[in-house]
Amino acid sequence: MPEKGKVLVEVKDICKNFGVTIALSHVDFVVKTGEIRGLIGENGSGKSTVSSIIAGLQPPSSGEMFYQGKPWSPKDVLEAQDAGIGMIVQEAGTIANISVAENIFLGNYKKFKKGPAIDKKAMIAEAREALKKIGVTDINPALPTRMYDMQERKIIEIAKCIYNDPDLLIIDETTTALSQNGRDVIYKIMHDMADAGKAVMIISHDLNEMMAQCDTLTVLRDGVIIDNIKKADFDADDIKQKMVGREIKGHYYREDTDGYGDEVVLKADCITTMHSLLCFDLELHKQEILGIGGLSDCGMHTVGRALYGLAQVLDGQVLITKSGTVIKNAQVAFRNSIGYVSKNRDTESLELNASIYNNIASTGYDKNNVGPFISPRKEKAYVDKQVKALMIKCQNAYQPVRALSGGNKQKVVFGKWCADDADILILDCPTRGVDIGVKAAMYQLIYDMKKQGKSIIMISEELPELMGMSDRLLIMRDGEVSGEFFRKDGYDDRTLIEYMI
Amino acid sequence: MNADTSIKKNEQGLNLSLKERIEIIRSNRYFLMVFPFVMLALIILVFSIATQGNFFRPSVLKGVFSQAIIIGTCATGVAFIYSNGNLDISIGAVLGMAATLGVLTYNATQSALLFVLVSMGSALVLMTFNCTMSVIFHIKTITVAIVVIQIYGAITTLFIGGAGKIEIPYEISASMEDGGFRYIAFFIYFAFCVVIYHYTKVGRELRFLGGNANCARQTGMSDSKATYISFLMTGLGVGLAAIFSVIDVSAVSVETGSGLGMDVMLATVLGGMSIFGGARSNAYAGLLGALTVAALNKGLLMVGVSSAFIQAIRGLVFLALVYLNSERQSLLPSRVQF
Repeated sequence: MPEKGKVLVEVKDICKNFGVTIALSHVDFVVKTGEIRGLIGENGSGKSTVSSIIAGLQPPSSGEMFYQGKPWSPKDVLEAQDAGIGMIVQEAGTIANISVAENIFLGNYKKFKKGPAIDKKAMIAEAREALKKIGVTDINPALPTRMYDMQERKIIEIAKCIYNDPDLLIIDETTTALSQNGRDVIYKIMHDMADAGKAVMIISHDLNEMMAQCDTLTVLRDGVIIDNIKKADFDADDIKQKMVGREIKGHYYREDTDGYGDEVVLKADCITTMHSLLCFDLELHKQEILGIGGLSDCGMHTVGRALYGLAQVLDGQVLITKSGTVIKNAQVAFRNSIGYVSKNRDTESLELNASIYNNIASTGYDKNNVGPFISPRKEKAYVDKQVKALMIKCQNAYQPVRALSGGNKQKVVFGKWCADDADILILDCPTRGVDIGVKAAMYQLIYDMKKQGKSIIMISEELPELMGMSDRLLIMRDGEVSGEFFRKDGYDDRTLIEYMI
Repeated sequence: MNADTSIKKNEQGLNLSLKERIEIIRSNRYFLMVFPFVMLALIILVFSIATQGNFFRPSVLKGVFSQAIIIGTCATGVAFIYSNGNLDISIGAVLGMAATLGVLTYNATQSALLFVLVSMGSALVLMTFNCTMSVIFHIKTITVAIVVIQIYGAITTLFIGGAGKIEIPYEISASMEDGGFRYIAFFIYFAFCVVIYHYTKVGRELRFLGGNANCARQTGMSDSKATYISFLMTGLGVGLAAIFSVIDVSAVSVETGSGLGMDVMLATVLGGMSIFGGARSNAYAGLLGALTVAALNKGLLMVGVSSAFIQAIRGLVFLALVYLNSERQSLLPSRVQF
């Protein structure tokens, strides 16, 4: 067994620029064997950048690295993989149209070669072993990867990574996409590796998780390392302050217990969908923040899609009560002043190649017109207002959205719906993968919308934000509401979890 | 180290790889606006040197313009289809059939007005047919195009008959050619396209749909409406181009419109537009690209390149441009930002 406490990776004076944007500025740090190192910081602070440089996803602009005592400058991920550095990336790292087994051995097909053909049977058997190694038996490696959801695909990536038996495992913002089960799989792997004298680097926005799992936390801000903190010195408020460079209050949810109106604005009347829902009822009131929580497969995401006309409703109907309009599809929903923030931000809520300007302007074609024409002046004001109000970090509004960090992308999504001024907003995991600074801004926005008389449905896998924001909270299990809680009565998370499982 | 000072220090020593530099230039907002002008200037420069100035002779320039206006009209229209995320290569066949019907009408009625109306009307009807097939039966537009090319081609041949060619009186084509009809008609159409494309709801919507159809639908946009508008806009352009090509040679033949599809595609990418749809598109791309293609065709011919070889060169240019234009996803995970 390799001894613990030896220097495994050393990063010296690393800088990285993307054009004129500085992602990393003279970063130094060391990862030792037997250590679980957490990287923490706001969106765009450079956490993913530094770890991806170590893992060979991109080269640094300047500076040097050492790995196992030798100079280290991997030319791609495969070289890093061969040398024992594995990384689970934040973005989807699997290819949808090939099988699970092919994904696990992507770039590694050689060992299954039989002449010009590939021995699929052997590959599938080996993939099954790889999954078993991390304690997963319910994924069939012979099936195409698209049959599995995001969480299961992450598990596949983890299996791929662990199969190569890495000495250093880098986990980039993966846990927030996983349910508790998935997280437990990762935690176990992390601790097993550290115990075996290997090392782990993990990036997450979940401060509680980081404080519980890591031995040392490295705080980054604007591409600079602010501090390295040992487990004994962990203090949540201190870490938050270091992350954002200013004092942050211990809680950032709303604190009032203002109620909501009696008027029902949106109603699901015994709706049944292809999957998940059977005769499901729901009422949303004016000025209400309605939280919906549960495990990720409890059907709550389908509820959001059905209410916005995206999931086919086979029986029953979704009604806008005031006008009696039935929501048959997303166009009807949009026309009737409903907005929807999908949990799949990059594929459904944004046009990544279009600019910030065009994305935000997309909700305003009917509002910024003079007769049949779009007024550039009106439209510019429509967009500028949001870019300013949300403090979207960008060079200018004409930058393509794909160049932004995750948190800033989500700000653009919010911007487009804030500009739209919809009366009803359906938010599916609105704060997934964004840092506390952006989260705080979004909670404030949601609260402001309520104050303006709008009604909001907030679907989330994070209990704290549901408890912090909702007027009324529905907990779902197996496509049904298993519990209903009211802000004015108060409740605790233990009770909620009982209703979830 | 203090964060502020270290950032300052870093700003001075930007250390970028060549690949990153190209990526930065390519992603610059103004790159796509400037690139087509540079290409056109470059081609003119090269050929004016290679032909010792003969390239600027009035007859040559006139030929270039005549060809460019046909390609440009089609390319301006078909830009709507491309930016909506669809492909249609049948416009050559549509143009041929529209021109034939127009000429037959003129020869039967002696009315220039009816000639114009029938040409444009039939192009509109044919494009609408293509679009309907695709929308109703959920077939890709390119697949529909491949089928209808055969059908339209056969009908055109049938109409034209054994001679392979129907002429119209020279006086009428000459008067339309000289009377500035082409330029006025083109610029009205062009201005109409620019306004629709940039300053109306449908124009914006069809581009957004081409970029990310899922996101567009969730923002309340309708696929089929946008698809119809894009095909109708193209139909108008192809109808006009059919008239232009008839008055160019005072006749319509079974060859009219052949090879046009390729020229139009080449013009589109030379103009800096993506044939994969989405945000990176301009309405004037087609016109600029058309001038470039026409100059390239004529120039190559003048320096003595055989027409078969010209085809090959155009093919290579096309491939190179599509390669530069495409957003490829690398199989290995990597982080491309700028």
